[in-house]
Amino acid sequence: MAGTAERMAKNQKQVAISEFFEKNKHFLGFDSLTRSLITAVKEAVDNSLDACEEARILPEIRVQIDKIDDKKNIIQLKSEDNGPGIPKRSIEKVFGQLLFGSRFHAIRQSRGQQGIGITGVVMYSQLTTGQKTHVRSKIATETSAAIVDIGLDTRKNKATKTNEGRELWERPDGTLKEHGLEITCRMKAKYQRGRQSVYQYLRMTSIVNPHADITFVDPDGDVHHWPRVTERLPRKVESIKPHPHGIHLGTLQRMCTESTDSRMTSFLYKNFSGVSSRAAKQLLEAAGVLEKAKPKLMKPDQIRALIEAFQGERLLNGKAVKLLNPPTNCLSPIEELLIKKGLSKTIDSRFVTTMTRSPTVSQGNPYQVEVGLIFGDGMAADKPVEILRFANRVPLMYQQGGCLLTKAIESVDWRQYGMDQAGGRGVPKGPAAILVHLASTNVQFTSEAKEALAENGEVMDEVRKAMLEMGRGLRKHLEKKKKMVKVQEKFELVNDIIPAIAEKSASILKRPIPDLAGSITKIMGAVIAESTTAWNKESKMTDVSIKLFNYTSRARAYTLLASWPESAGASMEHNTTGGRKEAVGVWAWKLETLEPGETYTITYSLNGLEKGDWTETDVFYRGSQDVIGATKMDEKLLEEIRRQEARAQGDDGEEDAQEQNPLEKAEESKGASAVVDAQPTPSGQQTLMGFGRDE
Amino acid sequence: MMSASHSPEETKAALHDVVTEMYDKIVKGEPPTMTLPVRTKNNIGFDKTLGVYKYGKKRSVRDATSLGSAKQLLRALHVVEFIEEMINTNKSSTLREMYYISESWGLGKFSSQNESNNLAEDLEVVTKCMREDFKLRPEEDGARMIGNVTLRERNRRGEWMRINARDDVGDSGYGVPYNVEEEKIELLEHDVNFIMAIETGGMFDRLIENGFDEAYNCALVHLKGQPARSTRRILKRMSEEWDLPVVVFLDGDPWSFRIFASIAYGAIKTAHISEYLATPTATYLGITSDDIEAYDLPSDDLSSRDVDALKAELSDPRFADAWWQDQINMMLELGKKAEQQSLAKYGLDFVTDTYLPEKLDDLGLA
Repeated sequence: MAGTAERMAKNQKQVAISEFFEKNKHFLGFDSLTRSLITAVKEAVDNSLDACEEARILPEIRVQIDKIDDKKNIIQLKSEDNGPGIPKRSIEKVFGQLLFGSRFHAIRQSRGQQGIGITGVVMYSQLTTGQKTHVRSKIATETSAAIVDIGLDTRKNKATKTNEGRELWERPDGTLKEHGLEITCRMKAKYQRGRQSVYQYLRMTSIVNPHADITFVDPDGDVHHWPRVTERLPRKVESIKPHPHGIHLGTLQRMCTESTDSRMTSFLYKNFSGVSSRAAKQLLEAAGVLEKAKPKLMKPDQIRALIEAFQGERLLNGKAVKLLNPPTNCLSPIEELLIKKGLSKTIDSRFVTTMTRSPTVSQGNPYQVEVGLIFGDGMAADKPVEILRFANRVPLMYQQGGCLLTKAIESVDWRQYGMDQAGGRGVPKGPAAILVHLASTNVQFTSEAKEALAENGEVMDEVRKAMLEMGRGLRKHLEKKKKMVKVQEKFELVNDIIPAIAEKSASILKRPIPDLAGSITKIMGAVIAESTTAWNKESKMTDVSIKLFNYTSRARAYTLLASWPESAGASMEHNTTGGRKEAVGVWAWKLETLEPGETYTITYSLNGLEKGDWTETDVFYRGSQDVIGATKMDEKLLEEIRRQEARAQGDDGEEDAQEQNPLEKAEESKGASAVVDAQPTPSGQQTLMGFGRDE
Repeated sequence: MMSASHSPEETKAALHDVVTEMYDKIVKGEPPTMTLPVRTKNNIGFDKTLGVYKYGKKRSVRDATSLGSAKQLLRALHVVEFIEEMINTNKSSTLREMYYISESWGLGKFSSQNESNNLAEDLEVVTKCMREDFKLRPEEDGARMIGNVTLRERNRRGEWMRINARDDVGDSGYGVPYNVEEEKIELLEHDVNFIMAIETGGMFDRLIENGFDEAYNCALVHLKGQPARSTRRILKRMSEEWDLPVVVFLDGDPWSFRIFASIAYGAIKTAHISEYLATPTATYLGITSDDIEAYDLPSDDLSSRDVDALKAELSDPRFADAWWQDQINMMLELGKKAEQQSLAKYGLDFVTDTYLPEKLDDLGLA
C-alpha cells in the first residue's frame, strides 16, 4: 500500500509542476501580459538587491527591455547586477528549482517572500516562447564568467543546461567585470506605462533602496537613471527565533517533533525569543507540563495546553506568564533621512517630511512603520495624492484600495493639515505623494498575490500615528509658506510698488520725489524676519541667510535664534556675526539696537550635509515686539532640549539611543542591548523637528 | 455733448487731482490713497432734477496698504500719464489697446482687460470726466436699428452722410457707431410712433421678417444683450429730441430686468453719467412675470444664480416701486423664467399678430 501511495504522489508531482504554474499563475504574478513582465523584473531585481545586501556590495542594477515581436507580444528582458555572482555549480539550483533557498525557514525581514522566485521567470519564458534563459555569472575568485542557458524539465522539476561555457565579461568600456550576474530571457509579455509599470516599479524600488544605483532602458531606448544617494548599505538583518505569541499549533508540533532537546525547559528557552529560563518554567507550569518532559514525546493535548499558556489563556497564579518582546534588530528600516533622499531624487519638490516609528511587536512579530510625505509644485494639485506602498522594501503595486496601508491613509482627516479631502475621508487630493513602508518579520497579506496588506488593528494604529505626526509637519510647512507669501507681498509693496507710486506721481506733477520712510513704516508697522536656506552647488554647502527689518517707528532690540542640524553632523561656517550656542541645534545672536528703517543680516553656511538634507531654517526671537516670519522663543521647550542634552552627555551612547525610542526603553528585554543601531539615526534632527511645533 | 463735456485742460487738471491725493499722502508720511464713490446698489439714489439714478455720497478709500490695491494705484498713475500723452498728441486709443500698451508698464501692467476697463471707469467716476475726454474708446460696437428714421452721420473722411434706417440699409439694419454725439450724428427726421428696443437678435429678425416696423410704424433697435453705452445714448437722444416713447421688449428673467433698469434708470456701473445714458420714460413691455402664466409660455426653472439675482433686485432702489416688486416676487413664486422666443410656441406670427398688439394696446400705442 505504502508503495502505491508513494508512486501516486510521485506521478502527481510530475504532472503538477507546469500545471501548478498554470493554475496558480494569478498569485505567482503571471496572470496578465503586463503583470508578467513586472513580476519578472521584480524577481530579478529583488534577487540582485538581496544578493548585494548579503555580500555587502553597493548595488548597481541595469534593466533593459526590448520588444522582439510587437504583434506576438514577445519581449526580451535583460537584467544585470554587480552582485557576488553565483558559482557555476549553483546556477541550476538557483534558476531551475522551485522553492530553492533557506529564507523560508528563517524568521527575519526579507524581500523574497513573494512568488516563487526567479525560477518562475525561467519557467514562464519557456512556457510562453520555448526559449531558455541565458545566464552569465562572474564570481570574484575566477577570471572568466560562467555562461549557460537554463531551461526547465517540467516533468522532472529539474533544470536543463545547454550551451555551457566560459567567457570574459567585458564592460562597454572594455574593462573586465569583477563580479555580477546577468540574465536574459524572452517571454510573452506586454510593456506598458503608467501606475502599474516596470518604470514605476523600478522608481519605487529606488526610493526605498537609496543605496542602489538603478538604470532602466525602456523599449524606446530611453534611459532612466536613478542614482545612488547614500553609500550606506542597509543594516544586516539578523534572524530571530519565533516568539510564543506568534506561533501556531502545527509549527509548535513540528518543532517538538524535530527537537533533540532532552527537557522542555531548555527547548523553550533555546528555540524561542522572549522566553527566559524562568518564563520557560512558568509556561510549563501553567500548561501542566513537566519541566523534564522530552519535547519529542509531547502529546497533542499537551502542545495545545502549551499554546494556550503562550497566548496567556492558561494562567499561573491568576496571571498570564509575562514574556519579553522579541528583539527588533531583525528589522531593517530605511530611516528618515534616507527616505527623504529617496523621495527627493525621484520627485521634484520643495518639502519632504519623513517619520520612522520605533519598532514594536504585534502577535509576537516585530514590525516597524515608516512614512514619508513629499509636497510640492511638480505634482498635480487637483488629483488624488500618489500613494507609494512598500512591504520590506518591496513596492506594492496592485490592489491599492484593499490594502491596510491605504486604509490608514484614508482614515486620516487630512483637511486639518491643509490638504483637500472630500468629507475628511478617503485619499486626499493635492500635489503630494505619501510613502508607507512596513518592515516586519511576518508581513500579512490579504491574499497569495501579496499585493495588499491584511487588516491589523495594531499596525493600522502605528501607521495612523505616523501619518498624524507627518501631517502636523505638513501643516506647519504650509502655514509657514502662507506667512512667507504674505511677507513677500509686503516686501514687494514697500520695496517696489510704493517707490514706483512716489516716482510716477512726482513725474506727472513735476515735483520732487518725496521721502518714503514715513509711508513705509505706516504700511508695514512691523518687524519682519526673512530667512532663506539654499543649497550652494559650488561650495557644496547649505547657505542660510536671515534678515531682520525694522519697519516700525521705534528702535527695537532682539535676540534671534535659528535651528540647525548640529546633531546630523553639520558644522556652521562663515558665520560672520558671531553669536553663541544656545542648545544642541540652536544658535543665538544678540543683535544691536535696530533703528526704524534699519535692516540686520545674518549669514552662515552649513557644511557636512548633502543636497536636500536641510531645506528650512526655523527662526525664533526674544524681544517685546512681534516679529513676522519668526516664532517667539518658547523658553520651556528650550529648557527641555537642554535637559535632554545634559542627560545624553552624562550617559553613554547606548542610553542615548534609548532616549530616542521610549518604546524600546520600556522593553528591558534580553535583546535590548543588541538593539543599538549600527548607524544611529541623526537623533538631534528628531528633537529639532519636534521643537517649536505648535502643540 | 458728451465728448465736449470737459476741455483738455479741465480733464488734465481733474486727473492731476487724483495724482495729487496720492503724492500729498506720501509727503505726509501716510500710505497713498485714491478716494472714489462706492459703486454698488447701496450707493445709488434717485436724482429728482435729472430723473435718473446717480451715485450717492458714500466714498471708499483705496489705500496702498495691501499689494493689490497699491498696484491699482500705480496702474491709475500709468493710465493718467497715458491719457495725458494722448491729449497732448491728439491721439486716441481703444480700451483694448490701452490694455496691451500696459504690457510695458512693468509693475503697473494690467493682468486682465476687465481690470483696465474698470480702472478707466474709476477715473471717470472720480474726475467726473467721460472716457471720451480721456480719448478712450470701447471696441464693442453699438446696436442695429431698422425703421423710418433719418439721420446724418459724419463718416471717416469727415463727410456727412444722410441715412434712412429703412430705405438705405440692408437686412442687418443701420449699425450704430460707438460715438453718437452731435459732432458725429445728427437726428434729422422720422415717421414713427415709437421705438422698440429688443434684447435678442432672433426676435429682432423675426419682427423685421414679419414687417412689424412698417405695420406698426416704429423703429426697432437690437440691444445685443446688456446694451453698450452708445446704444443707450442713441435711445435717449431719439426719445428726447423727437419726443418718442421707448418700449423695451426683453426675455422674462432677472437679467432682463437689469437691462431695462440700465436703459430707464441708469446702470450701477455708470451711475456717474446716468443723465446722459438713461431714458426715464422707457416702458417695460415684456416678457413680464404674469405673461409666463397668462400666455402659458414654455419656461425654464430658475437657477440658484437667478434666484440670488432676483433677491438682490428686491433691495435695489431702482426696483423699489410696487409694480417691480410685484413682478420680482411673482417670478420668485413661479420659480420660472421664459425667453422672448418662447412665444413661437403659438407659431411664428403669434408675436406680431397677437402678443405685441395686445401689449401695445395696453400702452395705447397700437
